[in-house]
Amino acid sequence: MDTSPLNEALASSSFDKIADICDNLILQAISPYFFSLFIGAAEGIEFQDEWPYAIHLLGHIYSNDINSARFLWKKIPTGIKEARPEVVAVWRIGQKLWTRDYVGVHEAIRGFSWSPEVQPFVASFAGKMMFSELILKSSGHFQVISLSGQGELFSTGCIGIHMCAYFAVYLIFISFSHHPSAELYKKRMFELLLSAYSTISTQDSACFLGMNENDATNYVLQQGWALDSASQMLTVKKQAVITEQKLDPSKLQRLTEYVFHLEH
Amino acid sequence: MNLNMNSMESVVAQIQGLSSNSSDITQLHNFLKQSEELLHSDFSRLLSSLAELDPSIHSLGFLYILEACISFPVSKEHVSELLVSVARFINSCSAEQIQLAPNKFISVCKKFKDHIFGLETPIRGVAPMLTAIRKLQSSSEQLTTLHADFLLLCILAKCYKTGFSVLEDDIYEIDQPRDFFLYCYYGGMVCIGQKQFRRALELLHNVVTAPMSTLNAIAVEAYKKYILVSLIHLGQFSTSFPKYTSSVAQRNLKNFSQPYLELSNSYGTGRISELETFVQINKEKFESDNNLGLVMQVVSSMYKRNIQRLTQTYLTLSLQDIANTVQLRGPKQAEMHVLQMIEDGEIYATINQKDGMVRFLEDPEQYKTCGMIEHIDSSIKRLMVVSKKLTSMDELMSCDPMYLGKVGRERQRIDFDDFDSVPQKFTV
Repeated sequence: MDTSPLNEALASSSFDKIADICDNLILQAISPYFFSLFIGAAEGIEFQDEWPYAIHLLGHIYSNDINSARFLWKKIPTGIKEARPEVVAVWRIGQKLWTRDYVGVHEAIRGFSWSPEVQPFVASFAGKMMFSELILKSSGHFQVISLSGQGELFSTGCIGIHMCAYFAVYLIFISFSHHPSAELYKKRMFELLLSAYSTISTQDSACFLGMNENDATNYVLQQGWALDSASQMLTVKKQAVITEQKLDPSKLQRLTEYVFHLEH
Repeated sequence: MNLNMNSMESVVAQIQGLSSNSSDITQLHNFLKQSEELLHSDFSRLLSSLAELDPSIHSLGFLYILEACISFPVSKEHVSELLVSVARFINSCSAEQIQLAPNKFISVCKKFKDHIFGLETPIRGVAPMLTAIRKLQSSSEQLTTLHADFLLLCILAKCYKTGFSVLEDDIYEIDQPRDFFLYCYYGGMVCIGQKQFRRALELLHNVVTAPMSTLNAIAVEAYKKYILVSLIHLGQFSTSFPKYTSSVAQRNLKNFSQPYLELSNSYGTGRISELETFVQINKEKFESDNNLGLVMQVVSSMYKRNIQRLTQTYLTLSLQDIANTVQLRGPKQAEMHVLQMIEDGEIYATINQKDGMVRFLEDPEQYKTCGMIEHIDSSIKRLMVVSKKLTSMDELMSCDPMYLGKVGRERQRIDFDDFDSVPQKFTV
C-alpha cells in the first residue's frame, strides 16, 4: 500500500487532511485486492488489528467532522474496542463533542493517560498544558521509534501499516512542536464564547476553556475582556472582524455584465 | 485467419494476440461474442486461463472470461479468490476496453457486489465499486447502474463520507429510470447520514416528483423520508405537490404515508409535548419503517424551530422566558440550546449571563465581502451552464422523430387554432 500521501501530509503539517487520507487508505487496504498482497485472501482480522484507529478517529475530530468519527466508531469491531482502551478514550472525546458537552470534552481529554503514539495528536487538539508534559515524558521514546521506522521504510520499500503508523506519529510529533494550531479546541471554545456572550461568569468561562478559574480569567483579560470582581462576571470584548472588502475590479465588471445582459 | 473455437487455449491465444490496437480489439470482440457458449460450458479451465492474461492489457478478454467464471456457482473457498481477481481486474483494467462491453462489466460488478453482501463485509466493496463507476462512465455526468449499488454499499458499510463525494457530480444522463430512483433514494440516505439535509431534500424531491406510470416502493419510502427531512430542515411540510409531479404519485403517495402526515400536522402546532406523545403512540410504525432515528431528530429540531420563531418577535428575552415558551427545563438548558444554535449559525444572538437575558441580532452578512461576490459569481456561472444544458436538451428533443410523431398525432386531435404556434415553441 502506498502510504506516502499520509506521510507527506503529516510532514507538511496538514493535519486537516489526515482524516481524508486515512479514509482512503482504509478503503484501499480493506478491499480484497490489497488484502491478498498483505496477508493472503484470509479474513480481515489481522488488518484491523494493526490499523491506527485512534489516530484515524482523532483525524476526524481534528477536522471537526464528528459525524464521520461517529460512523468510524460504529465500524470498529467490538474485539478491538475491548482490547484497546485508548480507542475508546478517543471516542469519548468525540462523544462529548457530539452531545455538545463542552465541559466533558476537557474531562475526557484529561481522563486518560495517552500513549506516546497518540498523545501529541491529542495535545495539539486540546491545549498547551498537556503538550509540555509530553515532551518531557516521551521524546526519548520517539527517537527510538522514528529510527527503526525510517530504517524499515527505506530498506524494504514495502512496509506494514503499523510501521507506517509509527513513522506517521513521529512526523506528527515533529510538526506539532512547531505548529501554530496547537490547542485547537481551546481556541475554538474561546471563539464561541466571543461570539455568543456579552457577559459570562468566571466559573463558566473556566469550564468552557478547560482551565482553572484564575488561569481562565487571566487568559481572557489578556484578550481585552473586563472583570467585575464583585459579581465575578466577565464582560466580553468583541473583536472587530476583519474581512477582505477590497473588490477585484474584474469581478465587479463581470457582475455588471451579467446585469446588463439580463436587462437587455 | 483461423478461428478455431474448440478450445480454451485458442481463446486465450486470440486474446493475447488481439489486444494491442483498436482494430484488433474490434475483431477480438466479435470473436469473443461467438465463443461465449464455450466460455460458459467449462468452469474448470476458466480460472487457470485467467492467470495467463494481464488484466491491464487484455482487459476485454479478461472481462469475458471473468464474467463466465463468476456466473458459475462458486464454493465458499473459491469466493475469496474470485473476489480478489475481480477487485484486481477493476483496479487495473483499461477503461477504453471495458466500455466496449459495458453489460459484461456491469454483470461482473453486480455479482461481485452480491458476493460481498453474502460475506457481510460491505466495506470491502466500496473502493473497487467506486473505481468501477469511474471506469464505466463516459463522463462524470453519466449515471451508471452501478451508482445505486455503490451508494448502498456505502450505507451498509457506514462510509457515508465516501458516498457523499460521488453525489457532488451533476448528473445529466440517465439510462434506466430505476437507476435514477435508487440513486436518489440511497443518495438521500447518505446525505441524511452526513446531516446534509438540504441536499437530501433535493434528492428525495427528485424521487417523489420523477415521472412514473405506476407507483413504486422506492417513491413511497422516499416520500416518507422527504416529509421528515423537510420538517427537520425547513420546519414545515407542504402537502401539495409541484405541478410536474406524476399524477400517480399525487394520487397515491399520501395514502401510504398517513402516520408521517399526521406527524407533520402535530409538528405544525409547535407543542413539543403533543409531538412527543404522538411519536410514542406511533413508535412501532416508524420503527418498522426504519425511520425512528429520523423521527427523533424531527422531535429535537422542534426546540430549535421554536427558538427561531422567538427571534422574529422579540429583540431581547430572558432565558427563563425562553425556557417557559419552548418547554425546556430551566434557564441553564435554554442557555445551552441558544449557545448551540449560535455555534451552528442558526440564529444570531448574544447571551448576557449577568442579567440572564438573550439579545437577538440581525444577520451580520452585508453581501459586500470578496467571499460573497465570489459565491454569487460562481452561482451565476453554474446557472449559466445548467441553462445551456437545458437549451441543448430541448433542441435535441425537438428534433427527435418519436417525440415529434407523438406531438403531431396529438395535434390533430386538438383544434388547430389553439395550437397554432406549436412549431415555434420547440425552436427556442
